[in-house]
Amino acid sequence: MAREECKALLDALNKTTACYHHLVLTVGGSADSQNLREELQKTRQKARELAVATGARLTVVLRDRSLVAEERAEFERLWVAFSGCLDLLEADMQRALALGAAFPLHAPRRPLVRTGVAGGSSAVAARALSARSLRHEAEGDFDVVDLPQLEREILQVGEMIDDMEMRVNVPRWTVQARQTAGAELLSSASAGASSAGAMSLEERSGSCDPSKALAATVFSAVVLVAVALALCVAKLS
Amino acid sequence: MERVVVSMQDPDQGVKMRSQRLLITVIPHAVAGRDVAEWLVRKFCVSEEGEGQRGVAGETPYFWTSTLWPAAELDYAIYLAKKNIQKQGALADYEKVQYDQLHKKLNHTWDLVLMQAREQLRAAKRRRKGDRLVIACQEQTYWLVNRPPPGARHVLEQGPERGARPASHLQTSSDFYKREIDYTRKALGRTRVKSSICLEAYLKFSSQRSSHDPIMAGCLPSNPWITDSVDYWTLNAPTVATPTKLRVERWGFSFWELLGDPVGRAHFMDFLQKEFSAENLSFWEACEELRFGGQAQVPGLVDSVYQQFLAPGAARWVNIDSRTMEQTLEGLSQPHRYVLDDAQLHIYMLMKKDSYPRFLKSDMYKSLLVDAVTPPETRRRVFPFMRKPRHSSPSPALLPGSGESAAASGGDEA
Repeated sequence: MAREECKALLDALNKTTACYHHLVLTVGGSADSQNLREELQKTRQKARELAVATGARLTVVLRDRSLVAEERAEFERLWVAFSGCLDLLEADMQRALALGAAFPLHAPRRPLVRTGVAGGSSAVAARALSARSLRHEAEGDFDVVDLPQLEREILQVGEMIDDMEMRVNVPRWTVQARQTAGAELLSSASAGASSAGAMSLEERSGSCDPSKALAATVFSAVVLVAVALALCVAKLS
Repeated sequence: MERVVVSMQDPDQGVKMRSQRLLITVIPHAVAGRDVAEWLVRKFCVSEEGEGQRGVAGETPYFWTSTLWPAAELDYAIYLAKKNIQKQGALADYEKVQYDQLHKKLNHTWDLVLMQAREQLRAAKRRRKGDRLVIACQEQTYWLVNRPPPGARHVLEQGPERGARPASHLQTSSDFYKREIDYTRKALGRTRVKSSICLEAYLKFSSQRSSHDPIMAGCLPSNPWITDSVDYWTLNAPTVATPTKLRVERWGFSFWELLGDPVGRAHFMDFLQKEFSAENLSFWEACEELRFGGQAQVPGLVDSVYQQFLAPGAARWVNIDSRTMEQTLEGLSQPHRYVLDDAQLHIYMLMKKDSYPRFLKSDMYKSLLVDAVTPPETRRRVFPFMRKPRHSSPSPALLPGSGESAAASGGDEA
């Protein structure tokens, strides 16, 4: 069905944009490296492909005038989310360009800011590309070579946004969000549903405190029961 | 500001940095709080869970507050949603208010906000715990600076020095509001001109004067800045025997133009003498001298003006209406520079309405127009390399004998 397909594409784009945002956060910091720049490039390539695909699908659907009103509303909601996502991606790409130009990795005149972030970001990039892990080594001056390419891609994304706005006219004020304020709290329990199965195992390992507390209480209860049983056995024997 | 941060982290000269143990995670590059001046703290983040010494880490450049990328509402909404998820709904009060406002404002993209919030949290989980904490901390500081909680100083708008302001509650009293009301009432009663009328007047002015403007219509004989010949300035000097045609035409535009031009004023004075009303212009000139002259001459000048023009049996008595005359005579007991202003204005309007139109229609003016010169435009030289050499002052590199005299004259000019 077209709706599921569009939704899946949009989710993938959303995931890639979030990962790209996360990678751009560390540009210019102490974790900056050629590998990071290459990961940025791969992630944004993936994001662009997804954006083109999603845009094409949504445009085709929305230009079809024989849509029912509810379906149309649904697709308009997806469209608004898609264009917002593209805006975020473009903003992050612009920042990446500015930061990448301001913090070249070769010239020691402007050393990288020591931000306290030391670990690698390959896991984030792997998530973005839906791969298990990312093993690669970037060339020596990848960042300098990459900057003009990044500039071109920013222009392309800008053109894509303009193009879309021309082709499909979705007034923002008519779109109603389906989720209410605070909806994220209810669905945080089912957070692992939309990611691939292999990834969710790793996420649950870094779970939040309440479940840790729960596990601790369960464990202590078990220990108490074992101690009580041992005492009974000792008493009986 | 960014330069300060980068220089602080310079390996040779920057502030000492060490790794700090934060419970079980290690955050490298932490700086002890006492090493950093107090006013820099707002740029850095303080780790919340540290026990004992509080540590500080440099902020990643993405979060450097810059005017190029003002903090966007969508980003703030995503940040609040993330915080909401992490703290299970326990946001601060002002954050809850902001959250509701953003939910109303960004209702159409709320799906995107929540999707991005969840995905960003999941992406963050793929990092080491230490990195995750540092980045979260820096993001929190960024939003504390850009969306300060109520009551905190908005550091982006006020600098660190402008803290000591006097208590402003004294101002908002009833007196203050009374003054405000009076002021706004007066402002309502101000005379206004419709913009259509303003623009018409402006168009008329521009069209009338466009042929007189040296830039729009060129200047005859030639532009001194281009051809180095000062004929234009000599022909248009303030006191010149034969004024140019354009100048004489300008006298016809308004009375003020005529009076403002010395040659025009002289001709007008001649005309008035023929009409036996020259005392008006003399009185006006005397009043101008009073207004713009020295303070010490004011009492003497007022006396002489009175004797000459205003006294009942004066030699050159000017015709002022009785009310103005009474007011002026009263003011003469306490002379100051503007005491004759009303009388001067009366005489000015009299001349403008009465003598000035007659002047423009008179034979004298017409003959002036005919006599006025129109300097011809200098012909462009065919051979450009035979142009006069351009020197703003005599060249010092002359023969020794004439060189000294040239240097002396050059030194005089300089």
